[in-house]
Amino acid sequence: MPQPVEFLQCSATNYYGQAPKGNVLSREINKKPTPRVEKIRNRYFDTKSSASVEFPYWYTRKWEGLEGEVPIVRRAEALRAGFEHLTPSIFPGELLVMGKANYLRGSYPMPWLSEAFFLAKEDEMYKEALEAGKVSSDEVTTMGQGGGNVTKSIGNVMSIAGKFGMRKEEMPMLLNIAKKWHNKSVDDVGHKYEKMVPGYNTKEEIMRAVICMFDSGYTLPQGREVMNYYYPLQYGIKGIIEICNEKLNGSAGFPDMDRIYFYKSVETVMLGIQKWIRNYAEEAKFMASLEQDNDQLNEYLDIAERLQWLAENPPRDFRDAMQMVWTFHIAVLNEDAISGLSPGRLGQVLYPYWKKDMDEGKINKEQTLELLEAMRMKFTEIDCFASMGVVGGVLSGNTFNNLCLGGLTKDGESAANDLEILIMESSQTCDTPQPTLTLLFDEKLPEDFLLKGVETTKVGTGYPAWVNNRVAMEFILENFKHEGIELEEARAWAIGGCLETSAGSWMPLEFNGETHHIPGGSAPATSVGVHFISVPKVLEAVLYDGLDHRTGRRVYPAHGKKLETYEELWETFKEYFSLTVEVLTLTNNIQHDLWGKISPSIVNSMLKPDCLETGKDISHKGCRYNRTFNVEVSGGVTLANSLASLKKNVYEEKNFSIKKLKDAIDANFGYFTAQETGSFSLIEQKQTEKYENWLKIHTQCLDAPKYGNDDKYVDNIFREWQIWFAQMCSNYKSLYDEPLYPCQISVSTHAPLGAVTLATPDGRLSGTTFSDGSVSAYPGTDKNGPYALFNSATCYNHSLSQNSQLNMKIHPSVVKGREGSKKFLEMIKAYLRKGAFHAQFNIVDSRMLKDAQNNPDKYRGLMVRVAGFTQYWVELGKQIQDEVIARTEYEEI
Amino acid sequence: MKHYDCKYYLTIDAFKGLCKRDKTNITADDEACEHFEKAKMCANCSHFKLTTDNMGTCMQKYDAYPRMNALTCTDFQWS
Repeated sequence: MPQPVEFLQCSATNYYGQAPKGNVLSREINKKPTPRVEKIRNRYFDTKSSASVEFPYWYTRKWEGLEGEVPIVRRAEALRAGFEHLTPSIFPGELLVMGKANYLRGSYPMPWLSEAFFLAKEDEMYKEALEAGKVSSDEVTTMGQGGGNVTKSIGNVMSIAGKFGMRKEEMPMLLNIAKKWHNKSVDDVGHKYEKMVPGYNTKEEIMRAVICMFDSGYTLPQGREVMNYYYPLQYGIKGIIEICNEKLNGSAGFPDMDRIYFYKSVETVMLGIQKWIRNYAEEAKFMASLEQDNDQLNEYLDIAERLQWLAENPPRDFRDAMQMVWTFHIAVLNEDAISGLSPGRLGQVLYPYWKKDMDEGKINKEQTLELLEAMRMKFTEIDCFASMGVVGGVLSGNTFNNLCLGGLTKDGESAANDLEILIMESSQTCDTPQPTLTLLFDEKLPEDFLLKGVETTKVGTGYPAWVNNRVAMEFILENFKHEGIELEEARAWAIGGCLETSAGSWMPLEFNGETHHIPGGSAPATSVGVHFISVPKVLEAVLYDGLDHRTGRRVYPAHGKKLETYEELWETFKEYFSLTVEVLTLTNNIQHDLWGKISPSIVNSMLKPDCLETGKDISHKGCRYNRTFNVEVSGGVTLANSLASLKKNVYEEKNFSIKKLKDAIDANFGYFTAQETGSFSLIEQKQTEKYENWLKIHTQCLDAPKYGNDDKYVDNIFREWQIWFAQMCSNYKSLYDEPLYPCQISVSTHAPLGAVTLATPDGRLSGTTFSDGSVSAYPGTDKNGPYALFNSATCYNHSLSQNSQLNMKIHPSVVKGREGSKKFLEMIKAYLRKGAFHAQFNIVDSRMLKDAQNNPDKYRGLMVRVAGFTQYWVELGKQIQDEVIARTEYEEI
Repeated sequence: MKHYDCKYYLTIDAFKGLCKRDKTNITADDEACEHFEKAKMCANCSHFKLTTDNMGTCMQKYDAYPRMNALTCTDFQWS
């Protein structure tokens, strides 16, 4: 291999304005949680992600004994067995208790969904899965090596799925269970039926080439949605069981008898959850029996009493309500592999309880703050067990429990309240990744509330993200009007997952003698359907006549065109992209249909209006709103920049031919690939000895118009893509006979998808990340300041899509002090007033990130915003770390 | 016996935990102290029979493994 000559001519970081000098500037706001929560957080920092086989063992054992039972009832019994047998663990100092598993960061595999990926790589089943293209994304993903990730087996602990530690003695049982689900899991059965889809082979090649990141039905079939806590809050578990029994009496023997099985299933799982809660109550009593410290002893007894009460009844006060909300949150997480299960507008849901307690003097603000901090820790402890490609390549270990603030009430007034102010304060004092916050910006929100949001953003955690309430409502009204949504109900929306606009409803909570209309999700999982199409990779296939250059395999039918005009190139791109969406929609529909048959949602279905009313689960369109399947893409700006370069250099100025460009791409413009250098952003790349041969063409590609500079040449290309994409999605229908719509978030996919993509015509090098988000500029290419970037980003109507996503990095000095906050808020408002949907910010000195990359042990608590989520720096893979460092840092706004 | 096998072991992660009695940090695979009491685990249940080094059966019909928690198992009987 030729020796590296020198680095690409870039500074260590991209700056807009003067690069900062002197010492690295830390963040302006630096608060601490209460000593109790600080202790809990330190314990968390020292805890490894761990997986247990307990739930899957009992689930499978029960499932096997019920062959011949109605499938949904069989699943309910299996879930009940899982819940009833979870070993309770209560950790000292906790104010909220219960977890997914007995470990602090516990989770477990769900082999009924997919069993192959967590098996040892040499196992035959894994090889089979790899051959079928099902785990290809795992192969190109890097997992964060620090923090709580168990990336290597040590002693009696085995590393599985690249992140989780599992006790060695549990592994034989895990493999035993996995084998029981072979050919029975949603993944395996779905795979069998997917083969019946016309174009299935193309789908498999698309997966193998990692043009699509993953199958949604096998991996994370639920999530990216908003919880609805109404039923347990209003009725309690006993009340829900009574509803089921009443409904059962009115269903048996009547037409539409599927309702019987649904109600029976809900009742069954509720009994399991009741036992689960009671097991924790018993454990609290046991802990109390060993306790010497009186305060701690009384807390254990309080916990025991509360859990005993909540095992049957609705909450009496704020603490009860928080525990109930938390219990049902993890109850849903325990029924499926889920990321992005968002608590939604939790401050508004809990407000009636908190207000009553405050009025009666049962709680004060300091106690509230500590409880909210404790809640933050519980959400942060959530882990999602899925494959390495999903957990590392998409989620970066994040679970996307998005808590929304602000927005409007049912009557159209500001919905902001004092509890939400404390929620923001708790995210400053206890700055953890979860729950992430989103502020639903509306002009009706009070200025102080908005300034509290800005102050929180300045902490540097990357939240709250700022989203435009009116743009979201426009999207909701347009996409759910055929299901009867009206303006009043559209106001109940919230973000599910990192940035998925989700429909909600107002639920009439009766508490303290009043009816409170609380918001909650009323639509099922979104970001199901077609998951993360790599649009630069589709363009690559166009240039290479349908071949995946990396693997040498044919993905698409050869188009055989000479691509003599830009229009011909663009039309061919649209053909390949459309074919991709078509085959992935059909195969994903089969996956989700089988998910509904083999592994239907019961807990989440019960919670979502109007499943309990109608007796239909989520997979039978029981939700009030059901148009939630979407088409997700990654690398849209890299696509636009590449098309602009092709249009200008090849077709207009004829600087070089397509053939010459492909030669340059094959040679990676004279640079080593990212895989060779181990650096995944455009900075710090190394030249080969042949660099000079490609210098001119590379310069022309880099100099072509770039998105993010208010340059109509490239912005019009971006706009054309956006409008076409939004329209084409509706040509395809979900299994619920609902048209798809576009979703534009990159999460972490811009890293692994970039890793398998050759150099692109915009000058990006092979293996480096794509542009992040959907309207973020490619790092270092936005040279005209934030307002030029805003003009580029708003060159199309954002309500056409479920979301848009803009990430910006700003040096802390730029927004310092009260005046800095006001200036910052005005900038955010200016962007949103232009019709933008979303913006989020890293307030950080990039030199600190670089130092953290080199010295991770010094930065265990450092967090950054990636693309819709915040994560501990040390738990991010190097691909994403490099990309975040490379983002343009704004030194002036 | 190891901490992991003790009734007072509160697991934090797959490597370590706390002693429920005195709240000290302990490692799962270290030797237990004099206060050790057997935890409810399949290995300590009369229904469990070891068939191989690390697998066995429960009530002669279910697969099981010796170090599985049995605190919540209603069929558990001390062996």
